[in-house]
Amino acid sequence: MNFYQQSSERMSQRMIPLILVAMTTVVSAQDMPLSQVIVENETWQLVTSGHEFTDGLTSDDEGNLYFADVKGGTTINKVSVDGKTTVYASDAPRISGMQFAPDGRLIACQGGTFGRIVAFTTDGELQVIGEGFKPNDLVVTHNGGIYFTETPKKQITYIPPHGKAVAADIANADGGAQRPNGISLSPDQGTLAVSDHGGENVWVWRIEPDGKLSHRQPYMTMRLPEPDAASKGDGMTTDADGRYYVTTAVGIQVFDPTGRMSGVIAAPTDKPIVSVAFAGPGLSYLYVASGEEIYRRKTNVKGVLFFQQP
Amino acid sequence: MNRTIILLTLIGINLSTAPFAILRANLQAEDYVLSADSLRQDGVPEGKLIERRFTDSKIYPGTERKYWIYVPAQYDRDRAACVMVFQDGGGYVKPNGHSRVPTVFDNLIHAGAMPITIGVFIDPGVVAPTKKNAKPRKNRSYEYDSLSDDYARFLLDEILPTVGKEYNLTNKGTERAIAGISSGGICAFTAAWQRPDAFQKVISYVGSFTNIRGGHVYPALIRKSEKKPIRVFLQDGSNDLDNLHGSWPLANQQMAAALKFAGYDYRFEFGDGGHNGQHGGAILPDMLRWLWRDHPDVQSTRSLSSQTK
Repeated sequence: MNFYQQSSERMSQRMIPLILVAMTTVVSAQDMPLSQVIVENETWQLVTSGHEFTDGLTSDDEGNLYFADVKGGTTINKVSVDGKTTVYASDAPRISGMQFAPDGRLIACQGGTFGRIVAFTTDGELQVIGEGFKPNDLVVTHNGGIYFTETPKKQITYIPPHGKAVAADIANADGGAQRPNGISLSPDQGTLAVSDHGGENVWVWRIEPDGKLSHRQPYMTMRLPEPDAASKGDGMTTDADGRYYVTTAVGIQVFDPTGRMSGVIAAPTDKPIVSVAFAGPGLSYLYVASGEEIYRRKTNVKGVLFFQQP
Repeated sequence: MNRTIILLTLIGINLSTAPFAILRANLQAEDYVLSADSLRQDGVPEGKLIERRFTDSKIYPGTERKYWIYVPAQYDRDRAACVMVFQDGGGYVKPNGHSRVPTVFDNLIHAGAMPITIGVFIDPGVVAPTKKNAKPRKNRSYEYDSLSDDYARFLLDEILPTVGKEYNLTNKGTERAIAGISSGGICAFTAAWQRPDAFQKVISYVGSFTNIRGGHVYPALIRKSEKKPIRVFLQDGSNDLDNLHGSWPLANQQMAAALKFAGYDYRFEFGDGGHNGQHGGAILPDMLRWLWRDHPDVQSTRSLSSQTK
């Protein structure tokens, strides 16, 4: 054994701790490719058809899907886990976004001339929570606070539990969503995220203890169909690992919790997609509203229900 | 002197015959070890390292972060010091870390191989949660991978003026360098690309010139843009990442080819390491010599190993 070989062996031994140090200082965050989400050889399956413009997808804790037909319908419909569609609430036109509250009521945006946030009790009774809005989509937190987008007003509005509506954010020259549309939370409900239908970003805020929003940032950048085109970032949802899903002009864009794009899931058809939610068995099916139809596909991940304690 | 150091010294002798032909291309990944330049040496004056927090950024509202200021023993408040900024600063100042920059600066400044330089080592920001059990918003990718001038402005308008209240810092782009690893590497390049007036020296370890937030376009931009006064040292390895964002080895080769095509003053060290700071840390002293080689205060470009043999 010559000197060099001997030294090399000793060096190898000495270097084990060095290599360990190097391993622990690898600085890339965990990568979350689309392959972690979609299931090979699975694609979109038709769930329901024959509506005019489906919207407002959401789930309960059993995985039943709820949706509305915002243009042509007057009912809130329920698709049970075994695939049967029934009417959950009637006399409910112009519903564009909804989620269950911790008390079991279904909170909804009722647009058009209604311009209000309403609740459907478990008995089917309609309650008006607030009026005079231009609501588009909403998210309900585990303590019952409601955040909703008012797209034409460039505003995100917050209704605290048992409180009055306040403007939580208004886009201005410094930033913000010019056409705030889809809305979701991080799984821990510490962060609010809103898609800008007219721009290229999903904006995020920190949620303060009183529900106010702070530290706005264009955290995610969406792929655009062409330079300077609108993203058409619309409905949003979140999975249990913290990925954000946004329906856009080019498909469902998926972002990791640090705001990096994981990829784009192709839309089921060439019709615009406007609402997305996890529902079905184990909350592991991704549902998307695509005009007259709703589709779903199996995934490797599961959704989050914000009415539950994070 | 133990045998490891002897071996490193032997490598150093070979390297010192051609100071800028650093090149350990024939070495294997396990050979990327720190040389005497990166280890404490008797008789070399030690600079001080001061830990600070920065919590009032307007460019990244709500973020909090640690940063460190390295002040060389030779610092003279009557003369503006050169400045070198490091992203993921905590990793660069760690006493047992991949690069141990304060020690490298001590050695190289003492040897006259680089000018008197204040190091500013900055961690990426986080927006702390207000709720118990909630996670902070990690701002690293947003700050480092975005191609805007935000990070350059953050340095020029917020961090450097703060450090400049206490220390006499240069305001010349030729005397400001910026370095980083992975996303911190593309961040260093972006700061210089956006503000070549302010940052003209760049070091990138395993730089993320991939599509995390669009950074894969740089080779194309470099080829079709008027050359900027930026000096760039890129390091990467054939076992670097290949994932949804891109292939790091291919991306860095594209960067090097574009810099060459466009006539930049650049170096590309392509080894066989993975996505870590081991190779970059091992050659950091040589990268710094190359980066600062024509600064008026530089007296020697020889490695410490060759001087002490």
